[in-house]
Parts: sequence; structure tokens; C-alpha cells
Amino acid sequence: MFVTVTLSLLEGFLGTIKLFALTLLLSLPLGLILSFGSMEKLGVIRYPIRFLIWVIRGTPLMLQLLVIYYGPGIFFGVNIWGGSPNGRFTAALVAFVINYSCYFSEIFRGGIQSIPVGQYEAGQVLGMTKRQIFFKVVLLQVIKRIVPPMSNEIITLVKDTSLARVIAVYEIIWNGQAFIKSSGIIWPLFYTGAFYLIFSGLLTLLFGYIEKKLSYFR
Amino acid sequence: MPILEVKDIHKSFDNEAILKGISFSMDAGESVSIIGSSGSGKTTLLRCLNFLETPDEGTITVHGEKIFDAHAPALKPEEIRARRLHFGLVFQQFNLFPQYTALENVMLAPKITAESPDVKQIEETAVKLLEQMGLSDRMNNYPHQLSGGQQQRVAIARALALKPDILCFDEPTSALDPELTGEVLKVIRGLAEQKTTMIIVTHEMSFAHDVSDKVIFMDGGVIVEQGTPAEVIEHPREERTKQFLAGYSSN
Repeated sequence: MFVTVTLSLLEGFLGTIKLFALTLLLSLPLGLILSFGSMEKLGVIRYPIRFLIWVIRGTPLMLQLLVIYYGPGIFFGVNIWGGSPNGRFTAALVAFVINYSCYFSEIFRGGIQSIPVGQYEAGQVLGMTKRQIFFKVVLLQVIKRIVPPMSNEIITLVKDTSLARVIAVYEIIWNGQAFIKSSGIIWPLFYTGAFYLIFSGLLTLLFGYIEKKLSYFR
Repeated sequence: MPILEVKDIHKSFDNEAILKGISFSMDAGESVSIIGSSGSGKTTLLRCLNFLETPDEGTITVHGEKIFDAHAPALKPEEIRARRLHFGLVFQQFNLFPQYTALENVMLAPKITAESPDVKQIEETAVKLLEQMGLSDRMNNYPHQLSGGQQQRVAIARALALKPDILCFDEPTSALDPELTGEVLKVIRGLAEQKTTMIIVTHEMSFAHDVSDKVIFMDGGVIVEQGTPAEVIEHPREERTKQFLAGYSSN
């Protein structure tokens, strides 16, 4: 039984990791773009983005999942996601990407704004372009500063993926819970915790390594 | 022909006039010190020369070429980049790039701003400049491993690497511990002896007196008095200059 459960949970965990990895891959660049938008001088760009960030950070992710999955069908009469597992996964991914880009954008914004203005001015008087200043001078300093808050947020993401089960996306909790009905046992559900723990443990090690790698400068 | 001619520069921030018509000129090889109390507009003037601020009025002419005219259409970013390279600027807070070594700090801008950089040549120049700054054994150190005086000398080398026509110093020793100012002043003195064209905003009166060909005293956004160090520092004519200098000697 233990082997059967472990294999089933591993299969579910694959879904968890897929959702985690794709969310991360898409929301990091999107978050950077949003952070630029939220620092934009033009109000027409800045205010809508700040409004979006406020709404997304101000409401539960679980609610956002439900609205994004059921919303189009209820409000426009079209279920754009379809009923298949893939459709539900895509809907969950969209909700996660929107939610996490907003959180990441605030971390990026904090990091970018914490860089002293003198760094930009030094680049300017040396004849660098804005782009060169950002990529050659500022970016690595920003990365160094945001590693701790980022690792926090990313470890939260590992566990947040379990929310996807509210729209029946197959992930590890879903599979663990299935054993309650099928075999009348609850311990597989508790056992899922071990998978999360190991994975976030690995991430903690990874972030520790990055932090150490970037400790050569201050 | 003067290397630099500044005419009638005005600059206000939020309706508060900081510069109220600054005009002066200097010749190649001269060092000019700008003295005056905090808030007199010295730093703003340097920032205008380096295109970190845009004057509301006035013109800036280098080698007879008008590089800034407040009445001309606004300059494009690439024009600003090209023109500001007439000037170099050494900041009060050094502003070295922390993730690069001393040598990399000096090499970065020449390397990434050139169309087809000759990295070997750039490195040779950078090494030579750092040696000249007395930092032969510090080239591969990161800024946080250097003292303030060493950091400021790296910053001077970094500015010199782009071969500016006019090198500007914005209170280069004000952020340093007193025992570290000497090494930085010595380097600047060396540059003056080599006839580097420099504008130095400073609170070091005796240094300004010894090093400069000309001293400008600013107060309340105007030039109150300018002349040789002997004229301005030893025998000031204006009452405001006398008061300012008296405040210094009593400190």
C-alpha cells in the first residue's frame, strides 16, 4: 500500500511541480514589466497597474482561481477553458501567473527603488545609456537585495499550488485526498506534507547558495 | 579661446531659484576652485555642466562649440550622452559600482560605450591610471574592501579613463574621515601639476588656495567674487566673501 500511495502522490506532485515551474517562468518577467509600469511617470500607465496590484493582492488567490475559471462562462456565456484537465490546468496557471506577477512586481519595485540614485548618476556621467545602466550596473545589485524576499515568496508558491484543487486541477493534495474515498485511509493526505517539505528544503538550499554566491560584494 | 564658457546659467527647483545667472570661463590646463557655503548652488552648477540637471536659462560652450543652449530644442538622449563626455564628474559619495573590482570599475564605461572596444588598450589605460592613483595593489579589490580615500581615488581614475576635457569634483573629500582627505587631495594636486583642466567644488580652503589658478566664491546662487587665490582668499574685496572666510578661520 505504501508504495502504491507513494507512486500516486509522486504523480500528483509532478502536477504540482509543473504548475510551480510554469508560474515561476512566466511571472518573473511579467512581474518585472509590471514593476516598471508601477514606477512609470505617466499616470495612465501607473494608476491602472497599481489598481490591478491592489485588487490581486487584496483578494484571496482561491477566489481568483474560481473567478478566472468560472467567470467567463458565467458572465459571457463561454467557457473559454473547456472542461478537460488541460483546460483547468491552464485556467489555474493564468490565475497563478497574474497573482504572482503582482507580488513579484512589488518585490522588484522595492529592490529597484532601494538602489541609490548615485549609481544611476555615476552611469550617466560615464556616458552609459539607460539600458546599460540597468543591465550592467543596477540589475545585479537589485537581484542581491531581493533574494531573501523572493525566496520567501517562491516557497509560498510551492504550497499555494495546492489551491488549484478548488477547480479540480490534479496535484498532490488531490491525489492524497482520493485515497480517503477509494480506500478509506487518511494518512496519504498527511503524507503529502513530506513532499512539500523536501521540495521547499531543496529550494531553501538553492537560495542559500545564491545568497552566498552574491556575497562577494556589498 | 577659453576651453569652457558658461553664460548666465539659471536654475530653479519648485520655484526656488538656486542659480541666478552664473557666468565664468576658464582656459585649458587651469584648475578652478568653487567655494561657498552649503546651499550656495555650487553642486547644482556642477550638475548642470554634467547634464544631470537642465538649466532654465543660459549657455555652455566648450572649445567654442555651444553644447547647451536653454533656448535650443531639447537634446536627445544620445546628444546628451555625447556632449556630457566633455566633462567628467567625481562625486562626494564616490558612487563606485559595488559588484565590480577597482579595475573593472575603471574599465566598464570605456568598454561598453565604445563601438568596437579595444579591451586590451582599455585595460592598459585603466591599470596605468590606477597606478597613478597609488592603487597598484588594490586593483582587484571590490569597493567594500577599500577605504573611503581609496574608493575616491578609484572614482577619479574611472572619470579620467574617459579622457574628459574638464574634470569636475563635487566636494571630493567631504565624505571622508579627516585622516583620509590628504591622500585624495594629494592625487588632485598631482593632476593640477600635470595641467589637467579641473573644476573643484571644495570646503578645503588651504587646498583651494594652493592648487587653483582661479577661485570662485558663490553665495545665494550668484558668483560674488572671482579671481586668483591671492585675490579671493587672501584679499577678498566683497563683504560676503570676508564673512564666509572669517567663518572658516574661526572654525
